[in-house]
Amino acid sequence: MEGTVLTALLEVLQPQNILASMVGVFFGLFIGSTPGLTISLGMVLLLPLTFKLSAVTSICLMLGLYAAGMTGGSISAILLNIPGTPSASATAIDGHEMTKHGRAGEALGVAVVSSFFGGIFGLSCLVLAAPLIARVALNFGAPELFAIVLLGLTLICSFGSESTIKGLISGIIGLIIMTVGLDPMMGTPRFTFNSVNLQAGISFLPAMIGLFAIPQILVGIAGKVQVIPEYKSKISGVLPKIRNLVKLIKSMLIGSLVGTGIGAIPGAGGPIAVFLSYDYSRKASRRSDGYGKGEPEGVAAPEAANNAVAGGALIPMLTLGIPGDPVTAILLGALLIHGLIPGPLLFQQAPQFVYSVFWAYLIANFMNLLLTFSTIKLWVKVLKVPERVLLPIILILCVVGTFALRNTFFDAGIMFGFGLLGYLMKKYGFPIVPMLLAIILGPKLEEHLRMSLIISQGDYSIFVTHPISLAFIIISIFSFIMPLIKPLWQKKKVLP
Amino acid sequence: MKTANIVIAGLLLIFGSYYAFLTTRLPTRNLPNTLGVDFMPWVLVGCLLILSVLLLLTAVFRKPRERFDPKISYKEVGGIIFLTIFVYAYVQVMHLFGFVWVTPFFMAVLMIMTGSRKWKEIVVFSVVSPLVIYVFFQKIFQVILPGGTYF
Repeated sequence: MEGTVLTALLEVLQPQNILASMVGVFFGLFIGSTPGLTISLGMVLLLPLTFKLSAVTSICLMLGLYAAGMTGGSISAILLNIPGTPSASATAIDGHEMTKHGRAGEALGVAVVSSFFGGIFGLSCLVLAAPLIARVALNFGAPELFAIVLLGLTLICSFGSESTIKGLISGIIGLIIMTVGLDPMMGTPRFTFNSVNLQAGISFLPAMIGLFAIPQILVGIAGKVQVIPEYKSKISGVLPKIRNLVKLIKSMLIGSLVGTGIGAIPGAGGPIAVFLSYDYSRKASRRSDGYGKGEPEGVAAPEAANNAVAGGALIPMLTLGIPGDPVTAILLGALLIHGLIPGPLLFQQAPQFVYSVFWAYLIANFMNLLLTFSTIKLWVKVLKVPERVLLPIILILCVVGTFALRNTFFDAGIMFGFGLLGYLMKKYGFPIVPMLLAIILGPKLEEHLRMSLIISQGDYSIFVTHPISLAFIIISIFSFIMPLIKPLWQKKKVLP
Repeated sequence: MKTANIVIAGLLLIFGSYYAFLTTRLPTRNLPNTLGVDFMPWVLVGCLLILSVLLLLTAVFRKPRERFDPKISYKEVGGIIFLTIFVYAYVQVMHLFGFVWVTPFFMAVLMIMTGSRKWKEIVVFSVVSPLVIYVFFQKIFQVILPGGTYF
């Protein structure tokens, strides 16, 4: 095992991988600090570039983006009160108050160090928990694997939207889209309308690019471009003093714990984690009165949380093949492109790659810390790049990125179709992440379901007689019913 | 919002029925102890129809709790139509002349549509960005960009 860990480290330390990590961090800081551009969008734009790269180089690039995107989001949140990413929303509360009081540099410094702390904490949990979970999951058969995928899907459908029904409909439509193409068990064409292009099914990459990028461009064209105010003051004192940081350890620890925990729950995501950690940190603080008025602890907790979410979200993705958030769903897609199937078998079949992921994430966090501190003034200038320039570049990248997948424009059409669908879905309150996840996980769900029923000779009780499968199915049903009955229960509680 | 959800539920019911119709036309194979290719589609038909009915019922009988603006403005419709034509034309022209020659023109049009009015900004970005993309994709990452019939 030591040999594998060391070989993985040596591989990650190859110049091209270090460079990839650096590029990823730079791109992540750009995406994160630019309001309106999300980490998911950055990931899908970067994905086509990884086609010709090795799996390790690709993961270095993407993890660099993931880690830095979270940190980058805090820059515009602190300076302009406009969170660069949804996960930086809570940072803006105290971060921007600090800016108003002329402490912008200090707030940025606290944000960067807390992000690093959260990132390393999340990674430690990943390193400790992932092999153990994978070892247990190795004993899973088809019924258990079916139940896990079902659980991942229902959790994301239930928690990811205001309306559970809409979340589930989004997931079901994703599964319906997944049935287009050759049947995974018998190879019979389904819903292909005699089109050769549809026989291979609908690839998740054009779907991902379309769902995340096109709605944003449409919003821009419809004249709803966000006007970003200019930040004119000088920034100084970014490097925080050790004695000040020591005072923030408690908040960082709270943020990291909450972030990792929430991140590991599929569908919960960063925005929930940052507000929860902010709240817990405020309750546990001696200086709770200062929260909302420019308290550094109010920056430290959510910033540690949003970077710890990444480590947490990687746990179910790597061990069970269930992504914790949209970014890890795209990361899962990136691994599938390289022929790597995340799940317990990955730890057995490609242990070196798994350790490479751990090392790559560690290096990404260090790179993030160093590059953010050394280039922070550059990112303040990036805030000035207008959306009217960015949106056309994004559209061009979307078209060429989807073309690059199979060198055919058919995928560009699919991408655009998904883009329109995504726009309408967002407009009418349907979350897009369940659909995306269903497209990625759908084939696995069907395969495990049908395999289980073949094993049991068509007897459905196989899902109930296997205890682990039963437990996951019960949690799935609970996660589905809970949001439906919760309002009724809350209403009753209010009554005298 | 209520009306929008009722219309959406209706559309989903129609789509579900059409999907069910397509599922009935799938080939069936009677191999022992195996499920047919239509098994999963039928499960999905059932789920979609149930959820559509639930959406309809909640829209009719429950007070709306969601926050979304169901109205689509003329600007949005115009944006959708413009972008559809734009992407179609871009792909067709790129088919003939390739990425490098076509992209600057389309980029300039798109910049104007998203609100750029400074001609210097339009010229610089529409020329430089495709070149940067070309260098990154084709030269550094060796990802093939669309080539045209003539160039």
